[in-house]
Amino acid sequence: MKLLKNYLNFNNNKNTIYAMKKIGLFYGTTTTKTASIAKKIKEAFGSENVDLVSVEDAWKKDFESYDNIIVGVATWFDGELPNHWDEVRPELEALNLKGKKVAIFGLGDQVRYPENFVDGIGILAETFESVGAKIVGFTSIDGYNFEMSRAIRDHKFVGLAIDKENQSKLTNDRIKSWVEQLKKEFD
Amino acid sequence: MPNLTQNRKTDMKKYDIKTTDKETLKNWYHLMTLGRAIDEKAPAYLLQSLGWSYHAPYAGHDGIQLAVGQAFTKGEDFMFPYYRDMLTVLSAGLTAEELILNGISKATDPASGGRHMSNHFAKPEWHIENVSSATGNHDLHAVGVARAIKYYEKKGVAITSHGESAMSEGYVFEAINGASKEELPVIFVIQDNGYGISVPKKDQTANRKAVDNYSGIKNLRIMYCNGKDVFDSMNAMAEAREYAIANQKPVLMHANCVRIGSHSNSDKHTLYRDENELKYVKEADPLHKFRRMLLRYKRFTEEELQAIEAEVKKEVSAANKKALAAPDPDPKSIFDFVIPEPYKPEKYVAGTHNEEGEKKNLVTAINETLKAEFRHNPDTFLWGQDVANKDKGGVFNVSKGMQQEFGEKRIFNAPIAEDFIVGTANGMSRFDPKIRVVIEGAEFADYFWPAMEQFVECTHDYWRSNGQFSPNITLRLASGGYIGGGIYHSQNIEAALATLPGCRIVYPSFADDAAGLLRTSLRSEGLTVFLEPKALYNSVDAATVVPEDFEVPFGKARVRRPGKDLSLFTYGNTTLLSLSVAERLAKEDWDVEVIDLRSLVPLDKETIFESVKKTSKALIVHEDKVFAGLGGEIAAIIGSEMFQYLDAPVQRVGSTFTPVGFNPILEKAVLPNVDKIYEAAKKLLEF
Repeated sequence: MKLLKNYLNFNNNKNTIYAMKKIGLFYGTTTTKTASIAKKIKEAFGSENVDLVSVEDAWKKDFESYDNIIVGVATWFDGELPNHWDEVRPELEALNLKGKKVAIFGLGDQVRYPENFVDGIGILAETFESVGAKIVGFTSIDGYNFEMSRAIRDHKFVGLAIDKENQSKLTNDRIKSWVEQLKKEFD
Repeated sequence: MPNLTQNRKTDMKKYDIKTTDKETLKNWYHLMTLGRAIDEKAPAYLLQSLGWSYHAPYAGHDGIQLAVGQAFTKGEDFMFPYYRDMLTVLSAGLTAEELILNGISKATDPASGGRHMSNHFAKPEWHIENVSSATGNHDLHAVGVARAIKYYEKKGVAITSHGESAMSEGYVFEAINGASKEELPVIFVIQDNGYGISVPKKDQTANRKAVDNYSGIKNLRIMYCNGKDVFDSMNAMAEAREYAIANQKPVLMHANCVRIGSHSNSDKHTLYRDENELKYVKEADPLHKFRRMLLRYKRFTEEELQAIEAEVKKEVSAANKKALAAPDPDPKSIFDFVIPEPYKPEKYVAGTHNEEGEKKNLVTAINETLKAEFRHNPDTFLWGQDVANKDKGGVFNVSKGMQQEFGEKRIFNAPIAEDFIVGTANGMSRFDPKIRVVIEGAEFADYFWPAMEQFVECTHDYWRSNGQFSPNITLRLASGGYIGGGIYHSQNIEAALATLPGCRIVYPSFADDAAGLLRTSLRSEGLTVFLEPKALYNSVDAATVVPEDFEVPFGKARVRRPGKDLSLFTYGNTTLLSLSVAERLAKEDWDVEVIDLRSLVPLDKETIFESVKKTSKALIVHEDKVFAGLGGEIAAIIGSEMFQYLDAPVQRVGSTFTPVGFNPILEKAVLPNVDKIYEAAKKLLEF
C-alpha cells in the first residue's frame, strides 16, 4: 500500500488521489471569509475528495467518521475561537481521535491584531492534540509580519494562515501549496 | 505575552457545561436573564421621567460579571463594583428591587438613598462598597481594605472592577504597585470591552491588552479569561480567589468583553460604530451563548428555559411595583451625614487648661500625643513618606520612635504617591469603624495636590453612602512658610480644602492645642485635616505645658489675649505675630483681643460673635493670601451676621497674591509680618 502511494505521488498533477481517505472539512457555515477559503480548498483537492461539514451542527459522530480532517477557524477579538468552534469544544474534548490527522487553516489580520495573529489555529491544534489527533500541514512563518501568535511551534505555523485583509493576493498560492503538502501528509 | 494555558491550571477547572450541576446552571441562567431584563428595562424609566438618568448597559460583560458576583463571599470579601456592574451586584446577592431603587434614586436605595448617581450600585452593610464616578479610583480603596484584611489575618479578598480604559489613570498604577509591593489579597478585574466611551482602546495604550503593561511587576499574577464565557469566567475567578488567599498576592484579571450597547444613555454609539461591528459584537452575546450551550449539551430543554424567562418577567414586574411605591428622599435630609458626630471632650470641655510645669514644643507634643493615642487604641495606623527609617521619623521627626514602639505593620513608609497614601487610608477604614488612620498626606502641604481626587472622595463618602461609611482619617500636613522654603515648602492650603463639605480643618499654633486637637481627631470618626505650622515645630514661643490627657473640641476657638478695643482673629503662624503686635499696641494704650481660631472647619462663630459684640472692630490675620483666603469667608460672615455691631469695615491681613519667593528678601515681601499686622490693626483702632 505504501509503495503504491509513493508511486502515485509522483503523479502530482492528478486531481483524484486514489489512496487518500476522504477529508471532512469543518468550518462555520455562517461565516463569509472562512467559508470562501473552505470552498477554495475543496476545489483544490477535487470536490469529490472533500465533504464540507457545518461545525454549528457537527457532533461526535461527524468528527469520528473521518480519518483526515481539515478545520477552518477565524480568530475573534483578542485571540478567541469563534462561537461555533468554542461551543463544540467541550464535545471535542470528550472524543477519542487517535489515529486521525487534522490540518487547520485560519484567518487573521496581521495589521489590526498583530498580538494574536491566527491564535484560533493554535487553540484548535491544542484541542485536537489533547484527544489524540495528529496535526499536519505545518507551514513557514516567513512572509508574514506580526508580533505574536499562539499558532507557532519551532518557527512554524501549526496550520495555514490566510490574511485576506492585508495579503489577499497571496491567498490562492498559499492554498495551492498547502493542499499539495496535505496530499502527501494525509492518509 | 503570557500564554493562557501557562497561566491557568486546567486541572483546576471546577465548572464546565457537562459536569456542573443543574441547580447551579439554573441559578446562573436565572441571574443572567434577570439582570438583562433589568438592563433592558432601565431606559424606559428615563423615558417616563421616573429617573435612571444615568444607565450604563452591561450586555456583553455577562460572563465575568456573573463570575465576580459568584466569587464574592459575603462576610469575608469586599467588593468595589463600577458603574457598569449591574449583573455583578445582582449575582452577589442584591435583589431586582434593590437595583431599581438605586436606578430611580429612592430614599431606600441601599447604596446611597438616592444621593449618588444612579447605576452606582452598592450595599455597604455587605461590603459591596459605594464607589465614585471617577473611573477606576476605587482600586486604591480595595488595596487599603486588603491591607487591613492582611493585618488582621482574616480570610478574604478585595475585588475591584472597572474597564480597561480606566487603566490609563495613574492611580490605577499606584494601586497595583502598592498591592504588589505589600503582597495583598486583591483581585483587580479589568472588563475589557475595547472602548472608553467612544475612544477605542488603541488610543489608550500601545499594548492591545492594557494588563500586559504590568507583566514586569513582581508578586503580581496576571490572568486572562473570556468575559463573555460563563464557564471560563467562573473558573478564572474561582482560581483567582483561591490563589490570592493562599498566596496573599494580588491578581490582575483580564476579561475580554464586548460592549453591545453604548457607553451609557448619554452616548450614541452608532455615531462611531458601524453595522458590521455591531453585528460582530451582538454575535458574541454571552447570554445567548450560554443559552445555546445549555440546549446543545442537553442540560435544559427549551421549555425549561422559557419557564425561567417567564419567572423573570414576573419578578421584574413585582420589583418594579415595589420600587415605584418606595419613598423619595426628603429634601430636608440634605444636611444629614455631611460629617460624623465628633468625639466630645468631657474633661476639657472648652479645650483650655491651667496646668503648670515644664513646657514642651510643638514637635514633642505631636509626637507624644501620637504615641499615647497609639497605645490607647491598638487599631491605629500611621503612614506617609519618610516617616520611618531607623532614627528618622518624618522630615521633622514628628513620628520619631513610633515604628520602634509599634512595629512596621502599624507604622510604615508609603511610596511617593500621595493619592495612594490617601486612597488606601480610605480603603483601610472600610474594614472596621474602630480603625483610625493617621497619614502624612504628603511630605509638605505643597505636595498634597496629587492626592486631591482621593481627598474629594474622602470628604463626601459619608454623605454619599447615606451615613453608612465614614473614612476615619487624620490627615497631617506640614504647612506654612517663614523657613525660607520658597514656592514648594511654604504653601497654606486650608482655603482650597475648606470648600469641600465633609472634612474638618484644624490649624493649631501652640503645643497644647496641637496635642488636644490631635487627640480629639484620633478619637473621632470622620476626616480631619491637621495642619501643622512647621516654622513653629521647635519654637520656644509656641511651646507650652501640655496636660497628659489634653483634649480640644472641634469648633472651639481660644481667647489667647482678652481685650476690648479690637477683635483680632488668627491661626497658625500668625498667632504669635499677632500676640506680639498686641503687646506693642498695649504700650500705646490699645487693648487688642487676640483669638486663636484653632479650628477652621467647623468655625467657632459663637466666640467670634461674642468678641465682635464687645469690640465692634474685627481684623482677620492669616498667613495665606488675602485674596481667596479663609479670611474672606470669615469677614463675610461677620459682615452679614454682625453688621449692627460693627463700627468699621472688617479688615484682613495676609500674604500678597503671589507665590512665595525663595530669596529671604522676596519671602519677607510676600508673607505677613509684625509691621504689616501692626499697621492694619492701628488703622482699624483709629477708624
